[in-house]
Amino acid sequence: MAKKDQDKRKSLKTAIQEYVQDGCSISFSGMAGSQCVAHTYEIIRQGKKGLTLIGDSPCEPGDMLVGAGLVDRMEIAYCAYAVAGMGNNFRRAIESGIPHEVVLNDYSNFTIGMRFLAGAMNIPFMPTKSLLGSDLPQYNEHIKTMLDPYTGQKIALVPAANPDVAIVHVNRADKRGNGQIFGYLANADNIARAAKYTILTCEELVETEEIRKYPVLTAIPEYCVDAVVELPYASHPWNMPYSYLYDLPFHTDQLAKFATREGFEEWLEEWCYSVKDHDEYLDKVGRKRLWELSKMERKYMKMPY
Amino acid sequence: MVQYASDYTLAELLIAISAREIKDGETVFAGVGQPTLAASLAKLTHAPNAILSMESGSVGPQPYRAILGIGDNPCIENALMATSLWRLFADQQRGFLDIGMVGGAQVDKYGNLNSTAIFGEGNYRKPASRLPGSGGANDIASSAGRTVISIPLQKRRFLERVDYITSPGYLDGYDARSREGLPGGGPSAIITNKCVFKFDEVTKEAYLYSVHPNVTVEDVKNEVSWDLKVASEVKTTEPPTVEEVRLIRMLDASKIYIGDGLKSLSFAKYMKMMEDSYDIMKQLY
Repeated sequence: MAKKDQDKRKSLKTAIQEYVQDGCSISFSGMAGSQCVAHTYEIIRQGKKGLTLIGDSPCEPGDMLVGAGLVDRMEIAYCAYAVAGMGNNFRRAIESGIPHEVVLNDYSNFTIGMRFLAGAMNIPFMPTKSLLGSDLPQYNEHIKTMLDPYTGQKIALVPAANPDVAIVHVNRADKRGNGQIFGYLANADNIARAAKYTILTCEELVETEEIRKYPVLTAIPEYCVDAVVELPYASHPWNMPYSYLYDLPFHTDQLAKFATREGFEEWLEEWCYSVKDHDEYLDKVGRKRLWELSKMERKYMKMPY
Repeated sequence: MVQYASDYTLAELLIAISAREIKDGETVFAGVGQPTLAASLAKLTHAPNAILSMESGSVGPQPYRAILGIGDNPCIENALMATSLWRLFADQQRGFLDIGMVGGAQVDKYGNLNSTAIFGEGNYRKPASRLPGSGGANDIASSAGRTVISIPLQKRRFLERVDYITSPGYLDGYDARSREGLPGGGPSAIITNKCVFKFDEVTKEAYLYSVHPNVTVEDVKNEVSWDLKVASEVKTTEPPTVEEVRLIRMLDASKIYIGDGLKSLSFAKYMKMMEDSYDIMKQLY
């Protein structure tokens, strides 16, 4: 069993090949920033089909996988690119069935977080005071409301989420899969624990001794991880706290292309299919540009080690 | 004596109005753009102890650069805490967040918001326009101590009833929120480009509270789909002060939110903006 391996290092390509199967359910870490972008491109390159995406507010992992026609079902709270723009692939799928129809269940960010927490705790559901009185339960049969058996008050329930695969990106990790996050966690810690298989990727691979110096930073322990991939700049064009700035000009250009179906297909051809892997993507973006994004981040935030 | 600005833009006015909704010492749940700038402005003026938080799990940032997303790095720059999403929302459900800033594409007279789908001729499954979805808006509207809504005043947005309630306001009015078991207090104001609405204490229906300078009550009524109730004495919205405008222009020196700073933004220009931001913002803290 891979979770017990002492050396879980793999290439991204191998990790996706081994763990992401057609028809599986999948979740990604990130919230606005620190999105799993490199991972999304690799899944598109490998053409994994019929996916069920469970997530809070996926950007590239939502909109681009839907645009590539790989998602059959979404259980999410939000799909767009915040300041940079709308999720036009997501819109085209829901409004017009392009490239094909997607079954959609709407949740909110907190209640998706509750679903991962329940999954990570191995309990069947979680009660919440969100969703009450709104139209989310009316259009999503998986949200139940009941009377609290103790007080008789109305309460909403959301089911546990235990995706087949979790893809989680962190600042640094060791080869055993202890993952450290320097910034906010969003839902990363619970996604990693809730899934059947967890692929942990990191900006920087470090020795276990280094992990042991700052154990308070470890959000994800090795016992829930199956594969470890060193993947610098994996969130580009998004930001990664303490690692690099948001590349907003790049994202603005990208989303301008996504405004039309043709533009999106051209983007995939140029930035996904025509490059072999993430390393080539980074070459294409330009190492100097990436370094400038890192250097500027250090002007504002730097880890003390 | 307060000195009001004579030279200010609509965006600056809206930020100043939103900032005044925040009281000193309050905890604020905010999205990016106008709400974040409003919270920062409040901190630099009348509410130095206000705490801003974002749903990525970021609490109390004091960044030296503009925040470009709810998970942007400055969300945790000089912050008090970086935690998980569910933890922060749990804190809100527990009652620790005093005020939430929310928006939407449609609003109705009870302050219910829709940011999920415009049905048009279709329905939820096949809407005329699919919007991003709740994100954290439903949670903020459910549990924040009170919410402040920001939305442009347009007839197609101000409806008798929204197509889909993403974020609950007062639902059907009166005590509907407590009957549904919602812990938060509900909306306290709707801020628009033309006016401010508040809510009747008993019926919970929105009424016109103030009009911005050079806007008439009729102008507002023309953009509202229901028979709008109006305060017995409609106020004129207080314009921003000279000091508020000065601070807003420092907080958003690149005019990302108060101008067209994002238009034709080259990488070089962007990096220059990032380079300069530190020295500008340093003067504020």
